[in-house]
Amino acid sequence: MTDEHKKYVKKIKIRKLVTKILQASILILFIGLWELVASKEIIDPFIISSPSRIVKIFIKLQGQNSLYNHMVATLSETVFGFLISTVLGTIIAIMLWWNKLLNDVLEPYLITLNALPKISLGPLIIIWIGAGKNSIITMTVLTCIIITIISMLAGFLQVDKEKIMLLKSMRANKFQILFKLVLPSNIPTLMSVLKINVGLAWVGAIIGEYLVSREGIGYLIVYGSQVFQLDLVMASITILSILAALMYAIVAIAEKIIKKYF
Amino acid sequence: MQPILDLKDLTFSYHSKEGETKALQNLTFSVDQGDFVGLVGPSGCGKTTILNLIAGIISPASGSILLNSQPLNLSLDKVALMPQRDQLFEWRTIERNIMLGLEIRKTKTKQNKEMALALLKKYGLGDFAKMHPSQLSGGMKQRAALIRTLVTQPEILLLDEPFSALDFQTRLNVCNDVYSIIKQEQKTAILVSHDISECISLCDKIVVLSNRPTTVKEEIIIEIDKSLTPLKRREHKLFAGYFEKIWSLLEEKENDG
Ligand SMILES: Nc1ncnc2c1ncn2[C@@H]1O[C@H](COP(=O)(O)OP(=O)(O)O)[C@@H](O)[C@H]1O
Ligand SMILES: [Mg+2]
Repeated sequence: MTDEHKKYVKKIKIRKLVTKILQASILILFIGLWELVASKEIIDPFIISSPSRIVKIFIKLQGQNSLYNHMVATLSETVFGFLISTVLGTIIAIMLWWNKLLNDVLEPYLITLNALPKISLGPLIIIWIGAGKNSIITMTVLTCIIITIISMLAGFLQVDKEKIMLLKSMRANKFQILFKLVLPSNIPTLMSVLKINVGLAWVGAIIGEYLVSREGIGYLIVYGSQVFQLDLVMASITILSILAALMYAIVAIAEKIIKKYF
Repeated sequence: MQPILDLKDLTFSYHSKEGETKALQNLTFSVDQGDFVGLVGPSGCGKTTILNLIAGIISPASGSILLNSQPLNLSLDKVALMPQRDQLFEWRTIERNIMLGLEIRKTKTKQNKEMALALLKKYGLGDFAKMHPSQLSGGMKQRAALIRTLVTQPEILLLDEPFSALDFQTRLNVCNDVYSIIKQEQKTAILVSHDISECISLCDKIVVLSNRPTTVKEEIIIEIDKSLTPLKRREHKLFAGYFEKIWSLLEEKENDG
């Protein structure tokens, strides 16, 4: 390695460190200021809560062992919804790619459903499926699946025509074109869909819980705001942020692993 | 001698919402065993269409294609297509890219795999077998794409403007490579190119095509020593004459159609 390159590598490393330090500082500063403003009662802590109050709530909920249950409830709804909509959405996209007629027939419906705010379907779902976990998962699936179908299908249809011709000249059948070309070339599409869905699945699950639930983080938020216990609301939002970030990180790791093999 | 490939009175149209595009009309020409035949013609005249017909991807509305005096659909395996850009699959290693044809035909036997790898080695890509296309230069990718067509042991190679994505310098070298590989493997080849010089430097015969609906305008036999490399053939004294001739044929106003 030349001296010049060493210098460059060092510069990059320092830059990375500075970024991390700044990121941490923002968080610490935010929490510190929040605590200060609340404890000096510059703004009523009843309205904005405070980090120490949130920690107390955590400990209290933890003692009742209910925090864990609420987390598991929401997490399972989100993960199930996420997995079902990704798998089902991809399968439907494959069917639409396979059958042009089906695609043409269903296109206007897909576009309409995509534009429709999924939350408007909430009350119907509750009546049809009942006020329980299944409704929330259905809500999550509805939130994610349409955009999954549309994005995956768009990726499938963008596959290079010349590559398809090449496979056809080798006498490939449609199955082979799908599995040797269309699916593998759309791994990046799938990855970006996964990332979008990680966000949307939480939206679906929380909306679902707002509408029906007796447990879950979304329920805690609604309950907390109804009894004007903003500490509880803030604590729930904090948990939600952490869970969402974790799930995103898992998808990012999965992406790295998959990229290695493709 | 019977030609290896015989196209007779081929007619083909594309149909779409906008209407009918008459691509080919009564197109007739033949290709002899071991020949390198060039197709030149105005852009959009139907050169790719002709290759797709020979590859059996599409079927003519009328006319016949005979391969070794038999209808094409009996021996489709004898034809391999090399598309315009290399079209290597980025997610596969070079080795797995060239095995694609074997996988599709379900003939990926140990023996065939070894044969494929031997071809890679023979043509200087042995060290790159485990690499991905993005790690190779443009010229090497083109060579890998050519080897991919050879792996299924076809008799006829169809090359659709295989060099048009390369810069000029690389292009001259890849021309030499492709020419020597095809001659060594004793394949028959049909080359589509809009570069007249390139066509003359590679081909034994050039079929000049008209505007759509396309017919054969003239067939020109190139009588330049086959043992010379394409680069040397470009310097041959007959070269300029052929160039003039093809150029003026392409310039010519159409009287018919
Ligand atoms: N799938 C298709 N549908 C309709 N028209 C097509 C299609 N493919 C090619 N054509 C038309 O047929 C003509 C010949 O096309 P092509 O064989 O690709 O020409 P070339 O390779 O000589 O440039 C062009 O005018 C083109 O627009
Ligand atoms: Mg073309």
